[in-house]
Amino acid sequence: MRKSMVLVLVLVLAFSFTAAGQQTPVQGGTFRYGITVNPRGMFNPILNTEVYDGYIIDQVFDGLIYIDSHLEPQPKLAKSWEISDDGLSITFYLHKGVKFHDGVELTAKDVEYTYLTILHPEYTGVRYGDFKVLVGAEDYKGGNALEVPGIEVIDDYTIKFSTAQPYAPLLVSFTYGILPSHLLAQTPVGELETLAFNLNPIGTGPFKFVEFLTDQHVILEANEEYFLGRPNIDTLVFQKVAEDAIPIYLQQKRVDFIGLSPEHVPQVSDIDFVDIYVYEALSYNYMAFNLRLDKFKDAAVRQAIAYGFDRETYVDVIREGFGIIANAPMPQASWAYSDEGINSYSYNPELAKKMLAEAGWTPGKDGVLTKDGMRLQFELLVPDGSRLTEQMALLFQQNMEDIGIEVDLMFMEFSAAVDRVDAREFDMFTMGWSLSVDPDPYAIWHSSVPWNDPGFYNDRSDELIELGRKETDQEKRKEIYAEWQQIINYELPYLFLNYGVTISAMNERVKGIDTEPGPLGPLAGGELLRSLWLAE
Amino acid sequence: MWKYLLRRIFLQGIPVLLGFTVLLYFVITIAPGSPVSHLRGVPNIDGEVIAQREAQLGINESFPVQYFNWLRRVLQGDLGRSFDSSRRPVIDLIKERMPATILLSVSSIILGWGIGIPVGILSARYQYSFLDYIITFFAFVGISVPSFFFGLLLLYLFALKLNVLPAGGFFLAGEARTFMGYVRYLTLPALTLGLGTIASIARYMRSSLLEVISQDYLRTARAKGLKERVVIYKHALRNALIPILTLVGFMIPSIFSGAVIVENIFAWPGLGSLAIQAVNERNYPVMMGINLMFAVLIFVGSIIADLSYALVDPRIRYE
Repeated sequence: MRKSMVLVLVLVLAFSFTAAGQQTPVQGGTFRYGITVNPRGMFNPILNTEVYDGYIIDQVFDGLIYIDSHLEPQPKLAKSWEISDDGLSITFYLHKGVKFHDGVELTAKDVEYTYLTILHPEYTGVRYGDFKVLVGAEDYKGGNALEVPGIEVIDDYTIKFSTAQPYAPLLVSFTYGILPSHLLAQTPVGELETLAFNLNPIGTGPFKFVEFLTDQHVILEANEEYFLGRPNIDTLVFQKVAEDAIPIYLQQKRVDFIGLSPEHVPQVSDIDFVDIYVYEALSYNYMAFNLRLDKFKDAAVRQAIAYGFDRETYVDVIREGFGIIANAPMPQASWAYSDEGINSYSYNPELAKKMLAEAGWTPGKDGVLTKDGMRLQFELLVPDGSRLTEQMALLFQQNMEDIGIEVDLMFMEFSAAVDRVDAREFDMFTMGWSLSVDPDPYAIWHSSVPWNDPGFYNDRSDELIELGRKETDQEKRKEIYAEWQQIINYELPYLFLNYGVTISAMNERVKGIDTEPGPLGPLAGGELLRSLWLAE
Repeated sequence: MWKYLLRRIFLQGIPVLLGFTVLLYFVITIAPGSPVSHLRGVPNIDGEVIAQREAQLGINESFPVQYFNWLRRVLQGDLGRSFDSSRRPVIDLIKERMPATILLSVSSIILGWGIGIPVGILSARYQYSFLDYIITFFAFVGISVPSFFFGLLLLYLFALKLNVLPAGGFFLAGEARTFMGYVRYLTLPALTLGLGTIASIARYMRSSLLEVISQDYLRTARAKGLKERVVIYKHALRNALIPILTLVGFMIPSIFSGAVIVENIFAWPGLGSLAIQAVNERNYPVMMGINLMFAVLIFVGSIIADLSYALVDPRIRYE
């Protein structure tokens, strides 16, 4: 399972004889969606930070658009949109007659309220970064203006957003659920996070909120009036499941769908009425070099370390094949992925040794390489909690010893490790990124941002990143990112480990799902919950 | 006795609790990591937004300021709001999980005592018999085996292999909440949590009863021709139970702290998962709230233990 790993690997796909098209959807029933982490009870689309709260929000609220399984934007509350020729504005045309669950009609006012709140000086959530490019947003956020010229309500069903410069990642950010302004506008923005509304949300979505019992379940019921048609199922339950009990819950039909970790796969594949899906995720794991340190300044050293690390063994043995070796920061699941001119750094300890020797490193008395009195010895910071990461670190330590590099492993609790990284008190550390739909690498890689942990600076890289977010033509943007990936692949501020894959299990009785899932999985990121149905 | 109680509460309890909170808050805040560390998972977040969040949560202040702010609110009966994205009142978070934790703890205490005492009596009555050896062996195992291991073992056996009990968790949405339902969901976690109690109660009971049995007044009872049954259950047992009863108070803390672990294994909807999550996320108000509540419970437990001495043993009086 190298780079040639098929895009989507469906392990068990027990097809029923009747093709899906010949069956007519059945109405009714309860779909049970297993979750292993309790939602926090912040069911507000602009204030939540947890993925699990997001699952519920996505069903109770609608965004202007949604992202489909190919990661393309599709119309939702907005029946269409228009990007101006200069690329500076997006105009959304809303569906008429869309009702909130309390019967009030949704209009452009609600959309305006939702996005203005995100830009408000007292806003307590984390979405501001996505929209600060709107004209006047920074002044408004700073309290220097009372209006945002970049958000303009044209009429009840038309709203226009504009930026001073073309900003390609903007469109896919309009997925956040639209809030009912008639229920919230009178509350000061700073106090929104304490409202009872957040525990009893009212949106326009395909499901209405019924009940949240902490650490037990969330119950939603079909919205009979949903503007895109009533969901086929009557009830949608998010059921809390203990990690260890996942196979049993599937076996006992207590959940229809749940995410799996690799260790569950053998047990779950024994259940004949459950299908397992494996698909690429928009994520990757990495080890970051601290480029502020002299020993890592020379790219040859970082490249030699990459050649000297047996990542094939890491992915194939430690991860049991659940992953794809990564060599650049765009996952294969992204449209911006490119392998053109990308060096694969296949395991080659001899080459690694040779490169280090050419770079002037010679073995010292204890066998560890030295140069100008500097020993090639460093500490790898490993946040604990994952067995796979710990085994990876041990393998790395061993591999490095083979090429004359001494690595000390420092296992640390996650928050404590983050502290060290933020203070730049590390030689190397390992973590992972989950990326958003738009490939814009600015937030992680531009030399000006706080998340640029390695301290990576490269003129051309910054230039390409800035170009990329201004380019609205996807093909041209892809070319820009292809060149940028070559720079990162050569410079290696990170030693890339693997692109992530997601594994999930679905009961066969569930029909109308994506059986060849893209990165959003067989439910297409929850989008199919409103159309799937239950056979039996 | 009232005077004693007041003295315990005001001269001892309150200063100890206060000292405990200072120490705890201090330890929590000096621990590396910050309540906003988890925002790292949001790539598009702004540096200023994080600073703003720190100010909103009040964690940009020094330790004494933070502590006194917290204390002032607590004295007004407000445990503050959770630092996580929900910003829910800590008291609500505790209230909605407390019943499940109490249900589990009380069940495990009942199980521990209901099984531990008879087993201990049997073991003492038939001292050095085969039965006694078996019981002492299992009591020893019961004390030594960590609860998380025992819990997984039970899960494997009863849920996976025999499929007679649910694999942890609680009622499914829509499932009727019957008494038998509770029994089904409670059995494995209560047994796991109760194992240590069963084992230690059995051992205490055995040694306590053996000690009483060797007393002179029991020889007298036997000498005057009483039946062995009467000797044991009427004369010996009542005296042997005194030290056992007082253990209740002392066991409460360990039961509650054990519940945190057991709840996590069985996905029991109690305080356990909240506590562990709060620690991982450096959620100060939630950690403080839960620990304060446990501290109060432990304090009440120790008072109950003291009072129960006086209750069961007429020789002890609190003046």
